[in-house]
Formats: sequence, structure tokens, C-alpha cells
Amino acid sequence: MDIEVLTIVFFSALLLVLLLGLPLSFVLGGVSVVFLYFTWGPQSFYMVAAQTWGAMNKFTLVAIPLFIFMAMILERAGVAEDLYEMMYLWFGPLRGGLAIGTVAICAIFAAMCGISGAAVVSMGVIALPSMLKYNYDKELALGCINAGGSLGILIPPSVIMIIYAIISGESVGKLFAGGVVPGLLIAFLLSLYIGLRCLIQPHLGPALPKEQRGNLARKLLAIKAIILPLGVVVMVLGSMMGGITTPTESASMGVLGALISGLVHRRLTWALIKEASLRTFRLTGMIMWILFGAYCFSAAYHGMGAPGLVQDLMKHIPGGAWGSMIFIQAVLFVLGMFLDPAGIMMITAPIFLPVVKAHGFDPVWFGILFTINMEIGYMTPPFGFNLFYLKGIVPPSISMADIYRSVIPYTLVELGGLGLVMAFPALATWLPSKIF
Amino acid sequence: MERVLSAIDFLNDRLGRILSLGILLIFGLLILEVTLRYLLNSPTVWANELTQMIFGAYVVLSGGHLLWCGGHVNVDILYSRLSPRAKALTDVVTSSVFFAFCLMLLYYGGSLALESLGRWEHSQSAWNPPLYPVKLTIPLGALLVLLQGTAKLLRDILVLAGRREPQTPKPH
Repeated sequence: MDIEVLTIVFFSALLLVLLLGLPLSFVLGGVSVVFLYFTWGPQSFYMVAAQTWGAMNKFTLVAIPLFIFMAMILERAGVAEDLYEMMYLWFGPLRGGLAIGTVAICAIFAAMCGISGAAVVSMGVIALPSMLKYNYDKELALGCINAGGSLGILIPPSVIMIIYAIISGESVGKLFAGGVVPGLLIAFLLSLYIGLRCLIQPHLGPALPKEQRGNLARKLLAIKAIILPLGVVVMVLGSMMGGITTPTESASMGVLGALISGLVHRRLTWALIKEASLRTFRLTGMIMWILFGAYCFSAAYHGMGAPGLVQDLMKHIPGGAWGSMIFIQAVLFVLGMFLDPAGIMMITAPIFLPVVKAHGFDPVWFGILFTINMEIGYMTPPFGFNLFYLKGIVPPSISMADIYRSVIPYTLVELGGLGLVMAFPALATWLPSKIF
Repeated sequence: MERVLSAIDFLNDRLGRILSLGILLIFGLLILEVTLRYLLNSPTVWANELTQMIFGAYVVLSGGHLLWCGGHVNVDILYSRLSPRAKALTDVVTSSVFFAFCLMLLYYGGSLALESLGRWEHSQSAWNPPLYPVKLTIPLGALLVLLQGTAKLLRDILVLAGRREPQTPKPH
């Protein structure tokens, strides 16, 4: 069979079985096994088994359950309540201030943990009822939680970046450093959008009434809320960027920080630890089993000689190197609507990386663009994970359609951020070049 | 039949709950290593390697538990709109793809492990622990997934044969 036809049949089969509801890990693994059998033959299965073994032996991957565990603990540790109290007092008097404060808390959460869900759940439980009580527009409120929460994977640490590092062979530290400036930039753009929107349409996010604002003493006292999170951030990023520990060890420092935060807030119970452990186990297992399937996929993809085909095809995209880059981002954006970001990364990074490198682009910069795009994928309908996290905790008066509509302006803002980092690569590459 | 099916559920449920505590071990070992290295200036030769082995078993043995609790992510844009019987039929069809992958993993992961066992393979590091116990978790993990997948297939067939009510949402 022609390689063109074979590749088309391969991808169609993947898509078909995926739409029939089989989990992604088994779709990737199973369909690839069938195609591998007919291309490289069964002896290539040894290679797949060896790669599975290889994945179990990558020390960097051990950081994934730790960062997830840390997020699961922090989600319930009471840190978010204190932070919200602080933001309420300081930003509440501004128009749209509670929503801006929510984005700020999400950014702080993002600097503490490497996944997207923790901030969404925390803020959905704490900030949303408060914003609705003070007559904030529900779409403005829902959207800022969705968008803010997705910062989790862009501001380091980041589980998605660890996966990218494993696939691309780039350093985790460089990627983490690369995410800092774009992450802060997007948090700023989101706040700017909320601020401007509420300046023009004050009814969307009214300033707190005078009697609800705290006095200066209460405001100053509330600042102590930032101490614990700051400590956790220093423990994780400081120990890693300072070269004291490996990313994996710094993740364990983060868990320690999260546990201490829980102790300080008197929230740490055995029941909480057990539940956090179970949720961590399930999420880690899900990611790792997709990776096992993705090894099969990657072997089958190379086995049929598809990388050359894809590179040839990409040559037909108008606009040269930049045309390809924009095309790739568009593909990732569309995939983000339907698939899990970890899955997208494991499927497409091996396909796109050779193309990106052939065009002479910096793989670290591409990794940051990829991550921003996946961040958008967490919030775009119909299948962004944040949408479902949020739906699980909002009051019944809020429908899924409300949540879907709420993300539209925020998605545009984040796309703007993506565009800026594309146009000015220094945003992503400056900090890594200073540190490493 | 029902008793065998619930026994498989029970196995993967409990095993997962026990394995999930492995994260505490991983965390403890890493903190121990960092503490020993920086506070006492005496790094161990075994902590990181032992952590890695626990991690390997932790992830590869998770598959069956995840299948039991519906934890493997899938795309249900079309699937969720099907009737319970149509879902069962679809599952029976797609299970062939599932079995292709898991049987391959069982067989070739198994031969990888047996080959390691056959020569009592050690890691050749300073600590030099045996590798075959962790390698054996690959076929074991595949076996756990296969068991749960077989239980699911049998349930789907029973639904299609009209001998069983479609499954109510899974417990968590």
C-alpha cells in the first residue's frame, strides 16, 4: 500500500475508534499495534515493551504524581480562602476587582502547582459565590475562573511541560523558566480585559459597596495570606532554579510545602490525604497509560514512514516557516477543543517537532507556544476539562451553555497572548537564557 | 458469573486503593534523600533508584483500577448519545482494539520480564538492585487491565443478550 493511503487509513482508524468511545490510551495502543503488525512486523513489539519499561524509568516523570498530589492537597488546604479574603479587601473596591483578584489568585496557584484543575475547583467554590453575591455578571465571573485556572500549566511548575521535555529532550528547567513571562503576561492581559470591560460596562462587575470594604488594619492583616503560598513557591522553584535539586526532588519539596500549609490551616486529616492519594493515582495512571499507548503510536507512525510524508505536506502550506507555525497552532487549537492536553502533546509533539526544528525554530519557544495553546484547550468547548470541573461545582442555576458562552472573550484574550509570544519570541526565551 | 465479575471489580478496586498510597512512599523517599544530602552531607545510593522502582510499579499497575472506575480519558461526543444497548454493542466492537494492545503488552512485556528473570538481571548501579521484580509488573499490569476489560466485555455481552440490566453509573 502507498504510504499516503496507509497514513490516511491509519489516522482515520484512530479517529473512528476514538469517536466510538474507547479510551485514548487503548485507541493509540491498539490501532497502532494492528498497523505495526503489517508494517514493521511483530518483532517491533519488543521495542514498544522496552519503551514502556523506559517510561517507567524516567526520573523526571516521577515529578508528575508529586505535582498532582501537591495540587490535590493545596486545593483543600485552606490556602485559597485566605488568599481570596486578601484579594477581596484589596481589589474589591475596584470595578471588576473581585474577578481581577480571582485571576491573581489563579496565577499564584499556578506557581504552586502544575495542573489546571486545582485553581478552577478552589475558585469555583470560593470566588464564584462571592462574585455572584455582589452582582457580578455570571459570564464574566465564570470565564475568569476558567481562564485563570488554565494558567496552571503555563506558570511553572507544569506537568504538561514535563511531558514536552520528555518527548523533545529539552531541559525541564528551561521550559519552566520560559513559561514565567508569558504566564504573567497572560494573567495581566486577562486582568486588563476585565478591568476595561467593567470600566465601560460597570454593571458587569460593580465595585463593592462602601460598607462592605474592610479598613486598613484588616487589609494589612490579610496580607499574611500570601506568606504560605510564597513559601511553597520558593521551595519548589527556588530549589530547582537555584540548582539545589532536580525537578523531581523540588516537586517533593512542593508536597512538603502543601502539607505544611494544610497543617497550619488545620485542614490536614488522614481522610484528606487518602482521598488526595487516590485522585493522584488515577490522574497519574491516566497520563502514563496514554504515554504507553503513545509509544505504540509513535512506533507505528515512524514504521510506515509518515514523518517524511508530513514534512512534505507541510511544504505545501503557504507562508513558509511562519505559515507552518501558524498552521500547527491552528491544528493544536482545534485538537484542544476535543482531546486531553496530555494526549495531544504525546500524539502531536513527535509529529510537529521535526518540522519545527527543520524550520530553525527554537524548540523551547515552541514548547511554550504549545503549552499556551493547551492552556486554551483546557477551556474551549465542547471538551475543555476546566468546563467540566466548573460544571461539577456551580449552583444549578448556571447551565453548561452559560459556561460555554463565558469563555469566548477570554479565549480571544489568550489567543492574543499566544500571538504576542509568537511575534516576540524573546518573551519566552529571555528568562531561560538568563538563568541557564 | 456475577460473582466472578464482582471479584474482579473488588480486586482492582482494593489494589488501586492500596497502590495509591505509594505516592506517600515516593514523597518520603525523595525528602529523605534531599535531607540527607544537604543537611547531613551523606547522599544515599539507593533512595532515588528505589523511588523510581516504586513509581514504575505504581503507574503500570494502575491500568486495571482506572478501567474499573472509568478513569481512562475518552471522547464521548457521539458515544454519550447512544442508547445503553448501542453502547454495549459499540464496546464489544472496540474491545478488539483494546485486546490487541493489552495482549501485546502482556506477551512482549512478559518476555521482557522473563528474559530479565532468566539472567537474574541487576541494574549495575552503585546500589545494584535486581530489576526483574519491577519488570514483572509490566505483564502483571497488563493482566489486571485484561481482567477488567474481560469483565467489561462479558457484562456488555450479557446486556446485549438481554440477561442483564445496563450498568448504572460506576461507584467512585
